[in-house]
Amino acid sequence: MTQPVLKIRNLSKRFPVGGGRVVHAVNCVDLSIMPGETLGMVGESGSGKSTLGRVILRLLEPSEGSIEFDGQDITQLPKGQIRRLRRDMQMVFQDPWSALNPRMRIRDLIAEPIKLHVDLSRSERDDRTEDLARRVNLGSTYLNRYPANLSGGQLQRACIARAIATDPKLIVLDEPTSSLDLSVRAGILELLAEIREETKAAMLFISHDLGTVRMISDRIAVLYLGEVVEQGQTEALFETPAHPYTQALLSAHLPADPAFKVSRLVLEGEVPSPIALPTGCKFHTRCPVAIARCAREVPQAIQVPSGQQAGCLRIPNGGNIIERKEDV
Amino acid sequence: MTLLKVEDLHTHFISRDLDNQICIAKALNGVSFSLEAGRVLGIVGETGAGKSLTAQSIVGLLRPPAKIVAGSVRFEGRELTDMPDAELNRIRGNNIAMVVQNPRTSLDPLTRVGDQLVRLHQIHSGGPKTASHKRALEMMEAVGLPDPESRAKSWPHELSGGMAQRVLLAMALMNSPKLLIADEPTTGLDVTVQAQILDLLRSLVARFDMATLIITHDLGVVAHFCNDIAVMFGGSIVETGSVRDVFAAPAHPYTRDLIAATPERFQMGRAKALGGQPPDLYNLPSGCVLQSRCAYATELCQTTVRNAEVAEGHFALCHYAGRLEEQPAVKINA
Repeated sequence: MTQPVLKIRNLSKRFPVGGGRVVHAVNCVDLSIMPGETLGMVGESGSGKSTLGRVILRLLEPSEGSIEFDGQDITQLPKGQIRRLRRDMQMVFQDPWSALNPRMRIRDLIAEPIKLHVDLSRSERDDRTEDLARRVNLGSTYLNRYPANLSGGQLQRACIARAIATDPKLIVLDEPTSSLDLSVRAGILELLAEIREETKAAMLFISHDLGTVRMISDRIAVLYLGEVVEQGQTEALFETPAHPYTQALLSAHLPADPAFKVSRLVLEGEVPSPIALPTGCKFHTRCPVAIARCAREVPQAIQVPSGQQAGCLRIPNGGNIIERKEDV
Repeated sequence: MTLLKVEDLHTHFISRDLDNQICIAKALNGVSFSLEAGRVLGIVGETGAGKSLTAQSIVGLLRPPAKIVAGSVRFEGRELTDMPDAELNRIRGNNIAMVVQNPRTSLDPLTRVGDQLVRLHQIHSGGPKTASHKRALEMMEAVGLPDPESRAKSWPHELSGGMAQRVLLAMALMNSPKLLIADEPTTGLDVTVQAQILDLLRSLVARFDMATLIITHDLGVVAHFCNDIAVMFGGSIVETGSVRDVFAAPAHPYTRDLIAATPERFQMGRAKALGGQPPDLYNLPSGCVLQSRCAYATELCQTTVRNAEVAEGHFALCHYAGRLEEQPAVKINA
C-alpha cells in the first residue's frame, strides 16, 4: 500500500492574543493526502484554512500534534533541515501581487527556487526557467519584465512556475484563484489540472469557492472553527452531505444557472469567536438540528453510508439531515 | 413610467501625460439601459469593464479626471447629469440609495451606528428626532439585526462584515428609496452570510417595491437573484436581457465565454482561449471592443456595431448576434 505524502495527526495551532486570551485557530485536525491526490479544503473565513496550510509546511509552528511528510516526522525538525525539505513542498498564495518581490524580474523569480534547491549550471538553469515559463503559458517576452507590468493572471502563472520548479511532492495552494476574474480563473484551473497530470504532485487546494473546489478536488475536507467536520470523496460529499454545517454551506452556494433550483438552508447568526469556542460540538450554537447533548459532548468522526467521515452526534439516529424549504 | 433611464452614457477619464498631452481613457462608451420599479438588474463583467463607474456616473459621484462627456441619466423623468449638486443631494440618500462593496470603510468610525442612521433620516426627512430614532430601530430590525436597541449604540468597529453590511442596508432603506444601487454587496462575505444578505435584499425589494441595480462579478448571484442581466465589457454593455434568456442562449461571444468559464459548465481540457487582456481604453479599436479576444472576429467587426435584438427584450452588441453558429470560430493570436 502506498504511503501518504502528508499525514497530520491531532494538529492544533493556537495564537496568544494578550490578556491571557488564546485564539484557537486549528483544533485537533487529522488529515492525510496520498501521492497525486488533490484534497480540497473549504470553510468560511476564520475557519483556519490558511493557518492549517501554513502549519503543514511549517511556515507556522504547530502548538500540538504531529506532521508526517513523506514518511518522516517533521514536527520537530530544526529550521535548517526544513529548508531543504521545502524543495518537496511548495506553496502558491492567494495574492500574487504581494507574493512576488517587486524588484526582481520574472525570470529571476522563477529561477530562484531552482538556484536554492537544484544544482544546475547557469545555462541549464536558464533553459529550465524558460521551459517552466512555457509550461505555465507565460510568453517569454514577460520574463524580462517586473511584476508590476504583469496582470494578476500572469503573475499567478509565474507563482505556479515557481512552485513547480523543483518538482515538489506536495503543493499547498491557498486560494490561488479567488483574486482573479472569472475568465482568468478558468485558465489557471486548467493549468493546475494539467500540472497535476504531468507531475503527479499531491495538492492541498484551499478555497472558499465551492464550485472551484468541486471541479478540481478528488477529496474534500470541510473546516468549521478550526475543526474538520466532514471529509470524503468529492461527489459523495456534494451529493449527500452528512454534517449539518456541510449541508448548509453547500446549499448557500449559488450555481451560475438560473434553471438550477436551489433550496437553501440559511443559517442563523454568525460564526462564534475562535477565542471563546463553544463547548461540545462547535457548531451547536448555529445548528438547526442541535439537541441538548450537542452542547456537552464532542462528537467523534464516524463513517456514514455514502463513505465520508463526519463528526455529528445525530448521525446514528438520522437526525442530522436538515429539512429544506423550497426556494422561489 | 420608467424609473431610471440611462441613455448613451459616455464617461471619460481626461488627464495629461508627462508631455502635457491630453490623454483620454474612454471608460464608458454609450451605456444604455432602463430599470422599472420592482425589477432587479444585475450588471456583470470583469475588472475594469466599467461596472462601478456606471453606478458612480448615475449618482454623480464622479471625481476628476472622470467626467461624463455625453449621454443622459433620467430618474423619474428628471435629468441627473446636469443637476446642481444641492438639488442632487436631495435625491441621493433619499430616493436613490447606494450600498457599496466595503461596508466597514463606508461607516463613520467615530459615530455610533444608530446615530448615523438618525443623521441620514434627519437630513432628508426632518421631523422630530425621536421619530427618526424609531425609524432607525425599525430598519435595523427589518435587515435582521438582532437586538436593534443595543446594536444602535455600538460602534462600527464592533461589527462583523456581515453585520456592517446589514447596517449599510438599513441606512440605505432609511428614507424608503425608490432605487437601490448595490455595488458588490456580497463580495468578501462568506457564502452563508451572502445567502442571508441576498435573501434579505430579495424580501426588501418585494416589500418596498424598489428598483434594484446589483453590480457583481458573481454569475451565481445574478442567476438566482436578478430578473435582468447586463453584461459589460470594455465600457459597453455587450448583452442585455432577462436572466433566463441570456443564460439559456447567450448571443454575444463574450457572454458565452463568461458563462462557459463558470465552474458548473467549465469543461477541463476543453477551454477555449479564455481571458486575455482587457481593451486599452486609451486606444480603443474601431468597431467591436472584443475583436482582439473574440474567436469569431472578422473584418466586419472593425466597423461600428449596432445593438441587435435576438429575441424580445434580449439585445446583443455583435455583428453576428443570433447567427454565431453560422460563423466558424477562427482561432486568432494562437
